[in-house]
Amino acid sequence: MAVTDTPTASVQRVAAADDTAPMVTIRGVSKAYGSNEVLRDIDLTVNKSEVVCLIGPSGSGKSTLLRCINFLEVYDRGEIRIEGQLVGYSETTPRRRLSNAELRGLRRNVGMVFQQFNLWPHMTALENVAEALVQVRGLDKIAAAERARLMLARVGLADKADSYPSRLSGGQQQRVAIARVIAMEPHLMLFDEPTSALDPELVGEVLQVMRDLAAEGMTMVVVTHEMGFAANVADRVAFLDRGRIAAFGPPRQVFHESPEPRLTQFLQTYHERNSF
Amino acid sequence: MKFSVIVDALPHLLGAAVTTIWISLLGVLLGQVIGVLVCVARQSGNRGLDMAGGVYVSFFRGVPLLIQLLLIYYMLPLVGIDVPPLVAAISALSLASGAYVSEIYRGSLNAVPHGQSEAALALGFSSTTIWTRILLPQAFRFSVPALVNELILLLKASSLISVVGVAELTRTSQTISASNFRPLEIYLAAGVIYLAINSALALFGTLVERRLQQG
Amino acid sequence: MDSNLLVHYGPALLRGFGVTILCWAAGCAIGLALGFALMLLRRIDVKPLRWIIRAYIEVIRGTPFLIQLFLLYSGGPAIGLRLEATTAGILGLGVYGSAYFAEIFRAGYQAVPKGQVEAALSLGMPYGGILRRVILPGMLVSTIPALVNMMAILTKETVVLSIITVPELMYEMQTMAAETFASFETILGMALFYWLLVEAVSRLGRRLETRMTRFLSHPSNARA
Repeated sequence: MAVTDTPTASVQRVAAADDTAPMVTIRGVSKAYGSNEVLRDIDLTVNKSEVVCLIGPSGSGKSTLLRCINFLEVYDRGEIRIEGQLVGYSETTPRRRLSNAELRGLRRNVGMVFQQFNLWPHMTALENVAEALVQVRGLDKIAAAERARLMLARVGLADKADSYPSRLSGGQQQRVAIARVIAMEPHLMLFDEPTSALDPELVGEVLQVMRDLAAEGMTMVVVTHEMGFAANVADRVAFLDRGRIAAFGPPRQVFHESPEPRLTQFLQTYHERNSF
Repeated sequence: MKFSVIVDALPHLLGAAVTTIWISLLGVLLGQVIGVLVCVARQSGNRGLDMAGGVYVSFFRGVPLLIQLLLIYYMLPLVGIDVPPLVAAISALSLASGAYVSEIYRGSLNAVPHGQSEAALALGFSSTTIWTRILLPQAFRFSVPALVNELILLLKASSLISVVGVAELTRTSQTISASNFRPLEIYLAAGVIYLAINSALALFGTLVERRLQQG
Repeated sequence: MDSNLLVHYGPALLRGFGVTILCWAAGCAIGLALGFALMLLRRIDVKPLRWIIRAYIEVIRGTPFLIQLFLLYSGGPAIGLRLEATTAGILGLGVYGSAYFAEIFRAGYQAVPKGQVEAALSLGMPYGGILRRVILPGMLVSTIPALVNMMAILTKETVVLSIITVPELMYEMQTMAAETFASFETILGMALFYWLLVEAVSRLGRRLETRMTRFLSHPSNARA
């Protein structure tokens, strides 16, 4: 699989990034499990059409931070706003936690892709993609099925529409999961280690779909161990270590020019593991 | 609802509860013996024994306990054994319990890692010794929580032996409420007593389970 | 046993069997519906409610079925509840079963992989839709064997109803036994009949279980 962008794609993305309306603003976010501080005072902004990658060792809090963005995890202090709207809490003082029902409006515009795919095993690929269209967007079954087919075609799985997840490879399942999300036309997509559960030869097909999405201007926050992806597709990379953002900036800066010792150590381990 | 009724009846009910408890205990203990024997018989390799055991288990798990009870109660006199209802009752409870217990032991035997008996064989242990010193003790360990559970089940099942006239808790409740015409109070009291005993047993079972996991 | 006896008592026995099936079916229906409702109610984060439901389940599972029947049938009138034997029997079976079914449903609910629910939540799906389309289908495979097993147990519990004079099969058979003085043969016949019945119900249940597991075959997220 080619790792470089096409010239058109990279220009597209730079242009899109000029639209510097912040999509996600994270201010002073902290979270603790009992005495264990998982997130410490995180500040981060993701602009529209930007791709931000979160990297770091396990336990650094990157997945937790990602899951706080759509409030699958509850953050204790600070604010997360998506397109200006406060995530998970009411605007009142004192603020109160919103219920799942109250979060629906926000969540329909934010898509999440999980490490374990989380397709519904008793539905076909088509039904998986169409389900939310029917229940959340209110489409009728036929319109939903048509749109679902289109989405599956976009991720290259038009011929697998009637297959059950158990008959699909991991890479195919993840692509169906992505189709399920993009069918909802989200403003923002969150990826939680989307390729970590895949056999190596299947990683590429998923990364390609993600690259295409980025090229089309999707705002993406990606927790990943795929440094190649981070280096070539991300606009900015955040390195998390023990609950803090220890390094942040464009890939070149983070990967090659950062003085942060923990980052160097992390990249060193990565290189050792991945070269032979 | 008159509480004084309960207070008056309490001594009788508690006395009957004691009867219920020791009948159930006997039933569990005998059931254990029967269960182990049946289990060993079924694992022995002898097809006849296995089949006989299988029929026994199927019958005593499939036929309702009440019918088993009446069957034994009416059958024993026919074969010349004139026994008091109590004996018939305990026999029925033991045989029923034994059927379930043999299956539990079969399950826990399978839970003992195979390698252990293989190692013992390699070391030259005899078959009986393997059973008594290695397999059974471990199967027993795995199934102690099941034992306590069995006792709880038998305590509840013992209420059925009231139909053959054994003066346990349910029968006594029936007799008392027939004479004072306050079934609600009496049966409630009986229910609370059963619940108390079973809750205590359940608690005990959890504690034992925890101790075993540490051991 | 004299075949004339069977002819004479045949209709009564058949009627009794009909009552048995009625009580069993109605009892299962009530128990399943009530048990499912209890499982859903337990999801509500209101401590007193959860406590009450938990107490209900513990009490029913911790006391003999016969005592529960006596309370309903004999104790009921004292609080204004005058039930016919059969009604009391059906209600008793339903309430008794509901406690066990509620626990089965609870275990099944919790066995649905959390990720599948999270995926639905993150798409903005409403809880009703998630329950209907993700959780319930997910629960099917794990709960059906346990549910069928419990329903087989309820088959056996129907004979206890005879003690509160519900005219089901065992009651009719005991009448027959008393009138014909052929106690042992009748009871043996009863034993064999119920043995076959319970065996048949269990077999049917296992076949249903295999069918369901084949349909919903492999676990989710199979790797390539």
